[in-house]
Amino acid sequence: MTVWAPAVAAVGVGAALVTGTWAVATLDTAVAGVVAGRGLHLRRAALAPLRRAALLAGRHPVTTERPDAPAWVVAGPLLLALAGAALSALPLAEGLAVADVPDGLVLYGAAMALVMVAVFLHGWAPNSVFPLIGAYRFVAQALSYQIALFLVLLGAALPAGSLGLGAIVEAQSELWNVIRQPLGLPLFLVAGTALSFWGPLALPDGEDLAGGTAAESSGRELLVWRTARAAVLVATAAVAAACFLGGWLGPVLPGPVWMVAKTLALLVILVVPAHVVPRVRIERFVSFGWTILLPLSLVDVFAAGVVALRTST
Amino acid sequence: MGLNSLRIRLAGAAPAPVFVVCGLGGRERVVDLYAEPGLQVYSTPRHAGVLLVVGRLTRGLVAPALQAHDQMASPRLVVRWTAADGDDPGDHGDVFPNAVVAHGSAAEVAAAVAAAHRELLAGDRPPSAALLADIEPAPWQGVGPYGTGGTGMTGGVPFGRPMAARAADRDDLELDQLKLRLGPLLPSLPSGLVLDVALQGDVVQSAAVGDNPYRLYAGDPVPAAPAPGLFERACHQPVRIAELERARARHHLRWAAGLARLVGLEALGVRLTTLSARLAASEESAQAERLLTRIGRSRWVAGTFAGGDLDDAGLAGLGPVARAAGSEEDARTHDPAYRALGFEPVLGEGGDTPGRVRQRLAEAVQALRLATAAGDATTTVSGVVEGPRGRLGRGAPPPSAALVDLVAGVVEGLEWGDAVAAIASLDLDVEEAARHPQMAMP
Amino acid sequence: MITDVLSWGLAALSLWSAWRVFRTDSMMRAAYLLLASFAAVGALLVLLSAEFLGLVLVLMMAGEMTIMVVFMVMFMMNPAGLNPMTMVHQHRAAVAAGIVSFAGLALVGVAGDFPDRPAADEVTTTSALGFELLGDSMLIFQSAGVTLLATMIGAVALTSRGGRFGDAHAGSDAPALAPEATASPAPATDAVEEGAHAAHEHDRHGAEGEAG
Repeated sequence: MTVWAPAVAAVGVGAALVTGTWAVATLDTAVAGVVAGRGLHLRRAALAPLRRAALLAGRHPVTTERPDAPAWVVAGPLLLALAGAALSALPLAEGLAVADVPDGLVLYGAAMALVMVAVFLHGWAPNSVFPLIGAYRFVAQALSYQIALFLVLLGAALPAGSLGLGAIVEAQSELWNVIRQPLGLPLFLVAGTALSFWGPLALPDGEDLAGGTAAESSGRELLVWRTARAAVLVATAAVAAACFLGGWLGPVLPGPVWMVAKTLALLVILVVPAHVVPRVRIERFVSFGWTILLPLSLVDVFAAGVVALRTST
Repeated sequence: MGLNSLRIRLAGAAPAPVFVVCGLGGRERVVDLYAEPGLQVYSTPRHAGVLLVVGRLTRGLVAPALQAHDQMASPRLVVRWTAADGDDPGDHGDVFPNAVVAHGSAAEVAAAVAAAHRELLAGDRPPSAALLADIEPAPWQGVGPYGTGGTGMTGGVPFGRPMAARAADRDDLELDQLKLRLGPLLPSLPSGLVLDVALQGDVVQSAAVGDNPYRLYAGDPVPAAPAPGLFERACHQPVRIAELERARARHHLRWAAGLARLVGLEALGVRLTTLSARLAASEESAQAERLLTRIGRSRWVAGTFAGGDLDDAGLAGLGPVARAAGSEEDARTHDPAYRALGFEPVLGEGGDTPGRVRQRLAEAVQALRLATAAGDATTTVSGVVEGPRGRLGRGAPPPSAALVDLVAGVVEGLEWGDAVAAIASLDLDVEEAARHPQMAMP
Repeated sequence: MITDVLSWGLAALSLWSAWRVFRTDSMMRAAYLLLASFAAVGALLVLLSAEFLGLVLVLMMAGEMTIMVVFMVMFMMNPAGLNPMTMVHQHRAAVAAGIVSFAGLALVGVAGDFPDRPAADEVTTTSALGFELLGDSMLIFQSAGVTLLATMIGAVALTSRGGRFGDAHAGSDAPALAPEATASPAPATDAVEEGAHAAHEHDRHGAEGEAG
């Protein structure tokens, strides 16, 4: 069993990534169709990502002038691997996780800190102006949400007395964290949107930058990059479901079904603003991140700390 | 092979990836392309497989179009959307051999593009080969005492581009400054606008507008004059106010669709474009009014745009741009037919980008309300008409000529995203500016 | 056995990427090779049952190396090493200092007395670390924390809205006529006047910017 465990784990994480990214792309296409006034066509929206992926897979790679080739090759798969690492620490049900390490939250934090590295590599590699601007715009964005993201997660870990995601879910068996820490989930969703640079916070890949870090990507490299972006969004939604919505806890249905349902619900909440809320200006987001997001997350973690102290004494 | 043919069939069902080259006379047609479900228009040629050349490819657009073509990933294809009647001798579109020629409406051209793209994927159509030679722009290796192409250790121009020199920014820090030419085909700028910018990070230190690629040179055959639009006709003959105001609302809706795309709301842009085509129906007109009112709500616009201040000196005759900065000039106030409908020019809230955006959205709503209230009233002919960009008629220069001069001043000191939004808020038509006979060429 | 192979491999990776830091021309690659070296050390810490420390090391170094790269792009003329200029200064002094520090650290590593008992299974490093930080070593870490906080406040004050030469939203200076000329003090004073003037006139827009 132990010999096969890594292979089974890799297959499990891979399946979660594929289905998760397909769900994100379907939701995105469906919501876009509704906002554009074309109506909700779920079947067409479910096929659209497959068609786009088939189209991208058939295009030949391009190269620019003196790109940083190792960086370009590494960036997309690195982002995908980071999303996979974050998912591997998540338990689908009690004891059912790829690697429910006692420091699962820190593993997630380290993986999400490396997202900044992957995006910067992707923007630096083509040796082109707009990708580079997208890259350091993301660094500014990342530094603004990072501390708030980790503080809010720490607040969710305090009632459990452990940094492991399984323990955090079990500590919510009486009351979900979204109720006893009301600031937690909204702040985490905002920081998570910034982390996966989706929708209103898609600043490194924005339209005004002609596609930003992906401006010079084509073919399979672009396919891997877009899949990786969606995968980071899936990982964010899954961790939020585990830390704030009680993970696998729920009355009638089995644990994994609840986990998937909660993740899907959060994905809908994360995907809809992409077509309704305009993209935030980078200056505005940076000042929002430091003057509003960070103090609120400090309030959240202090409140969680006070509650934890009172219940433990 | 089964898997390969499945992939080709799936790929053929996806919207054809298109990069648009907007030539002379193509601007209005390009806006319709974004709303076509069979196409996906991308903002960079790398993501596209079809180069769609709309209108006449002028001499100034040939080099950028060839570059865009070679930047597309293979397999690639060129489609030219020309007018149905005969050849245009001034059209340099024959630089693309094997281009597919398409005519008609946006829907017909989209179908033709999709069909040609499917043939390309299936292998029934040969992909377009690279048209430019793959050579280094400037030989520099081995030149000079250090082999860097110049004198001294750091001199020279490797790869034909000068190295970034340092210059002071607003805090007197010496940061690298990058000088760029942003070309006529950049989709986030009005098509045809060439901008020479000096960027420090993503802040525009200075900008200058380059040569207008739509300009006709001495030997070029003049294109057949387009049929006069509604606003041009209103200078000489009475026109129904309802039609005129609907045309104005249509123009502003299509401008708003472009702005929505810039801020990432592509689906909203499609909705605005489809509504703009159906304003004659009262239900769509009411829907458009509600949508525009919701978008124009103060806090949303103020949060998304910033900067781009323009004081109202030198804005005479520039329509919404001038009125946003505080001017009360509107040719419709001198028209008794409009006064009978209770027309008052919309008060401007500020000469910056959010103010201009709100002004245009408010004027579009006002135009829709006038159209529903006007009934059969007609305009009074006076030789001067208030067009959607500014004053038209009686020998007045086209408003875009003055708007192009404002670009360099409005983007200075702005961060790149704000700069692009500020230029979009001016609503330029570079082609209209090229028609101005007195336009000074830099 | 697997842990032995892994630890030797990670040590080799750490040393190799640290060596490549100094052999590569591209400063961006140098920074990220250093990050790779730190990541290998972090993985070694995980193997030593100090998972929290190892993961936190990777977390912090990712951000720090990226900030280093951004500063290189901002200030260096040749961050990608595409122009073959020599990028090192004071070569001999640096080599000498490197040899001295290597000798010192190697002495510590070889002559030091490191424990070699395996970690007990029920010890979680996170709680042990927490007790240490808030117990015996509280003075050190709290003073370091307060010092860092003071540094952050100072940095924010320097880059705040009221910049050194006027309101940061008043737009940038006009560049010098010759692009390579450094700024002289004269334009700075103009900027102060312009900034003050702009601040009065466009007070309303400033207020909107504040709210936004």
